[in-house]
Amino acid sequence: MHKIWLIIKREYITRVKTKAFLITTLIVPLPGIVTIALIAFVARHGSNESLRIAIVDNAGGLATSLSRNLDGTLSNGKPQFVVVDAIDRPASTESSEQDLRARINSGALDAYLVVPADFTQPFEFHTKNPGNFAIFAPLASAVNRALVEARLRAHGIHVDDVSDITRDANLQIIKVSASGESVERGQTFGISIGLVILLYMSLLMYGIITMRSVLEEKTTRTMEVLISSVRPSQLLVGKILGVAGAAFTQFLVWVISLGLLVSYGAIVAVLFNPGYSFPVIHFPIVMVIWATLFFFCGYFLYSSMFAAVGAACSSENEAGQLQWLAMGPLVFAISIYWVVLTDPTSTTSLVLSEIPFLSPILMPLRLSLQAAPVWQTSLSIVLLLLTIVGVIWASAKIYRIGVLMYGKRPTVPELLRWLRYS
Amino acid sequence: MDALSLENVTKSYDSVTAVDSVNLRVRQGAILGLLGPNGAGKTTTIRMVMHILVPDSGAIRVLGQPVSDDSRDSIGYLPEERGLYPRMEVRRLIVFLGALHGLSEAEADRRAREWLDRFELSEWSEKKLADLSKGMQQKVQFICSVLHRPPIVILDEPFSGLDPVNATVVKDIMLEMRDQGSTIVLSTHRMEQVEKMCDSICLINKGRNVLDGDLRAIKQSYGKNTLHIEYTGGDGFLSHPCVASINRFGSGAEAKLKPGADPQEILRAAVQSGAQITRFELLEPSLSDIFIEKTAHA
Repeated sequence: MHKIWLIIKREYITRVKTKAFLITTLIVPLPGIVTIALIAFVARHGSNESLRIAIVDNAGGLATSLSRNLDGTLSNGKPQFVVVDAIDRPASTESSEQDLRARINSGALDAYLVVPADFTQPFEFHTKNPGNFAIFAPLASAVNRALVEARLRAHGIHVDDVSDITRDANLQIIKVSASGESVERGQTFGISIGLVILLYMSLLMYGIITMRSVLEEKTTRTMEVLISSVRPSQLLVGKILGVAGAAFTQFLVWVISLGLLVSYGAIVAVLFNPGYSFPVIHFPIVMVIWATLFFFCGYFLYSSMFAAVGAACSSENEAGQLQWLAMGPLVFAISIYWVVLTDPTSTTSLVLSEIPFLSPILMPLRLSLQAAPVWQTSLSIVLLLLTIVGVIWASAKIYRIGVLMYGKRPTVPELLRWLRYS
Repeated sequence: MDALSLENVTKSYDSVTAVDSVNLRVRQGAILGLLGPNGAGKTTTIRMVMHILVPDSGAIRVLGQPVSDDSRDSIGYLPEERGLYPRMEVRRLIVFLGALHGLSEAEADRRAREWLDRFELSEWSEKKLADLSKGMQQKVQFICSVLHRPPIVILDEPFSGLDPVNATVVKDIMLEMRDQGSTIVLSTHRMEQVEKMCDSICLINKGRNVLDGDLRAIKQSYGKNTLHIEYTGGDGFLSHPCVASINRFGSGAEAKLKPGADPQEILRAAVQSGAQITRFELLEPSLSDIFIEKTAHA
């Protein structure tokens, strides 16, 4: 045990101390955090002041209803828009616009809206700051409502507030699950797909890192010194755990920054859209535990397969040719995940999620859709654990023979023969 | 008790028998030369002693105990294929390998500093191994194999890549360890090193041991059948019927005599031919000659 611990420690420290590790750990979440933080900052500090606008109404009679419909408020309670000037059917559009442009440039005005005489022509919004997208949605809806009011009036119907009549029906998707009901706005699908991609990427990435690490010991011929003091199986286990330690350190950093990212996102969403409630994500803790368990099992399964591939080859090149052995099932799982996603309770989905090489990805997916009863999950994990024992045994065999083999890349039948060596 | 003993050890891969009932005994406190041409089975033999490979049949004992994972901590091993983690700092690496052999990290660190000092590598101890020259890496690897003061040391070509100064340092350390009671197995192709250092030898050819025992006794058993002659003038006298083979070099030649030949006859022939003899000496065969004879006829 002490020797395994030494191997783990060396592997972990060596991995964590590299520049590449530091860079990927910090750089990957950094642009996201910076962007979101910047948007949140701009949104908070840029929208504290009401937007002073003027209306040039070439059609006539629209300015009043427009002003009424520009009724949004900012987070500090101020109105979002203040109509400082309304020019009804100007004698010369050109000269009044020139005048307004001068006022914008002098800072007395923020923007002006030009209503066309003919409504088939576009409305124009002139602003110094066309990037302020927070105002576009309320502006467009105010213009639409004013326009509808005008058209209704033309048909002899007078309404004070058209929004009462034209409001869309609100269709809500409610997800029913064992733990109750929650409003669905796509967050479950989003999370499930995110989970699948995350599992796939991390199994693949850290598998390949383990393979490279074994290969490095072979190509640098460090292997013979190592296995003259530790058993190959100890080396294998220590290496997988050491890489795992580094991987989880990285993961922790990412998860924390993802948490920050999501909360920033929520703040921004609320800033832009007061009254918007962030969709509820319903994850029972039991499910999180199961998913973590599957991830760990998948990690050991695939890492030991990748380690065996690394041990069987003597160069990156050869490993590139042989790594499909370990990658194959993983790629298959990712290419059929939609079968499970669209119908997680079907028999096909059940069978697929019980197959040991696929279950580390497909069972957490079904769990995230809350479509797997406990007996199916338990059966899947038992099958997975049995497979892991077998795969680690076989990998340790291949590892033991492979680590000292140099020269020609072994074929698959040769690899199978290695399993029979004592 | 023997430090190391192999009894009828056999190991084959698929259809190739790499080691074929090899017998070997190394007395405690002795230096054994493990010799043999390339591909003779030396590395396989050593790997079985290190318990990296398991023999198909036969018994291996280390300090009287059957070979096991634990017996490996009593052996220091310098493999022929050199290599250590290139991106690890020198001292950290030595401490890591020392700890793997059962030393505490503090003790391994203390010894690492001593050894680095002795090999004049102290200023490199925080550098990465890849920054060191080949010879320096070689010294680091030698330190790694002896740091845990193993009672048995197996060194595969320990002098390759070392300049004469460092080769002498390594040689002195080996003799020092022998004097302190360590047993050393030296595998090398440099026969002159073996002749200078080894107490006994074991010659393996095509997986079988063809010669083993006390080096002096082996050489004596061949008798003084080699003539070392230095001369000026023609060398026609060397094609004498008593001469079995000739090995010429700049200032003279080494002539191997046929069994029962009288060296005086050759001297007489040389004088008659008019050559100026500056040296005429009857010697035991060199280990190199024995090696060639044993491996060429097997």
